[in-house]
Amino acid sequence: MGEKKLTGIYFYNPNGHSATVNYSEIAEYVKKNPDVSVVWNSQDISLSDNNKVVEKIKKDNLKRIIVAGDMPGMVKSYFTKAMVAAGNKPEDVFVASFREFGAIRPSDTERAKAIMACAIEGVSFDTAATTEEISLNPDTLVIGGGIAGIQASLEIADAGQQVFLVEKSGTIGGHMAMFDKTFPTLDCAACILTPKMVEIGQHPKIKLMTYCEVKGVSGTAGNYKVRILKKARRVNLATCIGCGSCAEKCPGVAESEFDAATTLRKAIYIPFPQAVPNKYLIDAESCTYVQKGKCQVCVKVCPVPDCINLDEKDEEVDINVGNIIIATGFKPFEASRAERFGYGKFPNVITSLEFERLINAAGPTGGNIVFRSEDKKGRKIFKGDSEVPKSVALIHCIGSRDENYNKYCSKVCCMYSLKLAHLVTEKIPDAKVSEYFIDMRAFGKGYEEFYERIKHEGVRMVRGRTAKVEQSGTQLLLRTEDILGGNLLEEKVDMVILAVGLEPREDAAKLADMLGIDRTEDGWFMESNNASNPVNTYTGGISVAGVCQGPKDIPDTVAQASAAASRVLQSIVKGKINKSVKDLSLSQIESQVKKLSLTEEKI
Amino acid sequence: MSQRVDPTLVLEIEKFGKGTWNECFHCGNCTAVCPLTEQGFLFPRKGYRALQMGLKDTITSSVEPWLCYYCGDCSSTCPRDANPGETMMILRRYLTSVYDWTGLSKKFYTSHFWEFFAIIFIGIITIFLLLFANTAGIITTLTADGGVMLDKMFPHDLIEKGDWTMAVIVAGLLITNIMRMWWKTVVKDKTVKVKFFSYFTEAWNLVVHFATQVKFNKCEGKNYWLWHWLLMSGYVLMFTMIVVYLPWFQTDKIYNWYEPQRILGYYATFGLMFGLVAVFIGRFKKNNEKFKFSHITDWLFIIMLILTTITGILVHIFRINGMVAATYYSYIIHLAILVPMIMIEVPFSKWSHLAYRPFAVYFAAIKKASKK
Repeated sequence: MGEKKLTGIYFYNPNGHSATVNYSEIAEYVKKNPDVSVVWNSQDISLSDNNKVVEKIKKDNLKRIIVAGDMPGMVKSYFTKAMVAAGNKPEDVFVASFREFGAIRPSDTERAKAIMACAIEGVSFDTAATTEEISLNPDTLVIGGGIAGIQASLEIADAGQQVFLVEKSGTIGGHMAMFDKTFPTLDCAACILTPKMVEIGQHPKIKLMTYCEVKGVSGTAGNYKVRILKKARRVNLATCIGCGSCAEKCPGVAESEFDAATTLRKAIYIPFPQAVPNKYLIDAESCTYVQKGKCQVCVKVCPVPDCINLDEKDEEVDINVGNIIIATGFKPFEASRAERFGYGKFPNVITSLEFERLINAAGPTGGNIVFRSEDKKGRKIFKGDSEVPKSVALIHCIGSRDENYNKYCSKVCCMYSLKLAHLVTEKIPDAKVSEYFIDMRAFGKGYEEFYERIKHEGVRMVRGRTAKVEQSGTQLLLRTEDILGGNLLEEKVDMVILAVGLEPREDAAKLADMLGIDRTEDGWFMESNNASNPVNTYTGGISVAGVCQGPKDIPDTVAQASAAASRVLQSIVKGKINKSVKDLSLSQIESQVKKLSLTEEKI
Repeated sequence: MSQRVDPTLVLEIEKFGKGTWNECFHCGNCTAVCPLTEQGFLFPRKGYRALQMGLKDTITSSVEPWLCYYCGDCSSTCPRDANPGETMMILRRYLTSVYDWTGLSKKFYTSHFWEFFAIIFIGIITIFLLLFANTAGIITTLTADGGVMLDKMFPHDLIEKGDWTMAVIVAGLLITNIMRMWWKTVVKDKTVKVKFFSYFTEAWNLVVHFATQVKFNKCEGKNYWLWHWLLMSGYVLMFTMIVVYLPWFQTDKIYNWYEPQRILGYYATFGLMFGLVAVFIGRFKKNNEKFKFSHITDWLFIIMLILTTITGILVHIFRINGMVAATYYSYIIHLAILVPMIMIEVPFSKWSHLAYRPFAVYFAAIKKASKK
């Protein structure tokens, strides 16, 4: 080793929140390094006073400076200036970003220390933290049967590799199956999706496990043992012929999940006519027999002997896989949380997802846009023969881009709102349709053109998001500032569609813990690098695809799912997989750093 | 209508309170959620636009900040946490200094030294004048009903002269400032050509909104109006009694509880204390949007008014109980707080809103009537 390098380290913790790595522990760690002569915290120096920074550099005769912490690039320029002023080279200011290499939480403090060890020796973390390759189990688990999970499964299975596709509900298809059309081409969503679903159901290399949940994961990259809970379906998948005589007689009813609660289904049901597998299942919560111990009507009318077993219990099975792809998707923002918009209070304020079902030819009204009505028992549902609205308003950014709910942009709402506006004008040609938006984010290929098209179709665009919705007689009163027109609008419409944003699912945290992956502040699963590797995580053998990694539209979801599949296939073809960076201990990285810095010196 | 962009405008206005106007992304939520906006008078978002663009003339010619009663709905629902309500408050402070021709308002708002120096200076002068005026000193003899001879110690004709001097100075300043406000917001506003008759047809606005602040009631679901009105009515009543009717109010006789001097005095004291305590607790606990941010002038206003009220109560108690020295000193302290408070707060600072608010409503009504 050469002479002492006299390094100064400055810790930058911009958020100051407690849920970060332990800065004082890292400071103690770096102080032990003989090359480090001073360590500063954010409060030790005022960066705005350049002269003081220069003085400090001169006083300790520092030759290099490392700026470390969360987003340290924000303050690097201060030190570059000061280093030049102190007569040093500007390139001797280095940045060690914790966040970039996945050191985010208090539990990642060891990783942050490793990042510092690399920075002090001038070795890149990625180079030092290479993990050894081990052989792997070629089977893959895909969690979630939406479009992302379907695409990833098909990519891998079509390459001849075994896939286990686990889906929580009774059918695959996810949210895309609920949509009527896709933007900007206005293709029928089901026409794209259902052939893929059928392919999944028939694929010899795909083991489809619907009505199942992942309960636990053990093992390491390449060799995971996954415990799967097979929830009691109470109908035999192999023998059910899907005749429907059971549902005809079944007395139990519940809101249809597939129809976004716009209509009712029986306790024994097929989620929707194109479901895969197209077999019945029993929802325990609405089943009279499960709840009250008496009924068994379905068993009596079922033409297949022993097909329905009302006393079936949940089971657990273990499977062994080498790779896991997470494609769990999202949940729509709960519109009743934003009380001002009147969802849940006024029947004709509906969410975009409800409207997708309403406009769908296979939906509760056969594709007619009608007012919400009540059935005999007072349940609020949609019926085909109700009255048709004459004016419809779409309000954007419900639960998105809002400090009170979610700060992020949900990315898809502008475009789907344009699509829904188009569908309204198509179904009710004389209807007045208005959109109230903050910014119109038409960000993709053909999207801006789609926006122009919808404008030319006569949909009124108002820049200014509605602030409140109130009932006024049979109509709804909207109060909006029309920013471009300089007007205050108080307008009455018949129906309001709330463009609800996307949120991580409730069980995302549980799943992240189970699989040992990180989540962003907003709760989306964390990829290892947003730009260069948006599908892998820091845990080896675990990839993410679709909205569960962050809001995105269908084309992006499909692209990411294919990318995740290619990463998986890469390891299968090689027959080897890298262990998790997470599994590397600090001392392993330290010794790697020492080796690397020695070779450098020899050169 | 062209105007020069002033890039330093936000730096100037920042001195009146730390605003978060760069946060605003112009969704229009604040304007639409506000119960007081109407076609032609859109705020707070438009103010944000003018601020971000440095449109000084637009800001100085707008009455909109005075039309806001700060219920805080805009701030609590703002998707950017840009605190539109507080920005309106900051603009009101700025506008007060813009209307003020002496330049003192800006000094008091932006410099703690000037504010405290002025208060202490006027306080000391008041004490000096009182000691000078009081040739009799402390009179230890009591009246027949056992009260202190306050009116002999501080003869009301002398105090009245002081009162009227103060009132004339304050009114003179306030009236000239209102004239400037009118010039900037009505005459210089090129977007509207004011019809002369509307000055008369809309004059009722001035009286009604000065006396009732009825618009405050539109801020939904909150009882701000009530305590604000109690505070306001108590203050106006007390002010009228001690300035206009001092010989009637300040006497050595101890009145019975049912006589108007006492009933009105008690009502005014109650109104003041009730309103002040509510504001004080609110600001201290920051218990709603309205009180989340407190400028030093907001605190000074409340604290000085509370001290004035308490010393006023003490004078009353000491006097009717025959406590001579206590009455003497508490009376001096009472005035030494009251006089600077009125001299500083009413023409130059927070209290000027008692005039600017109703006038803004009046001017807005004139503009509206002229646009028809």
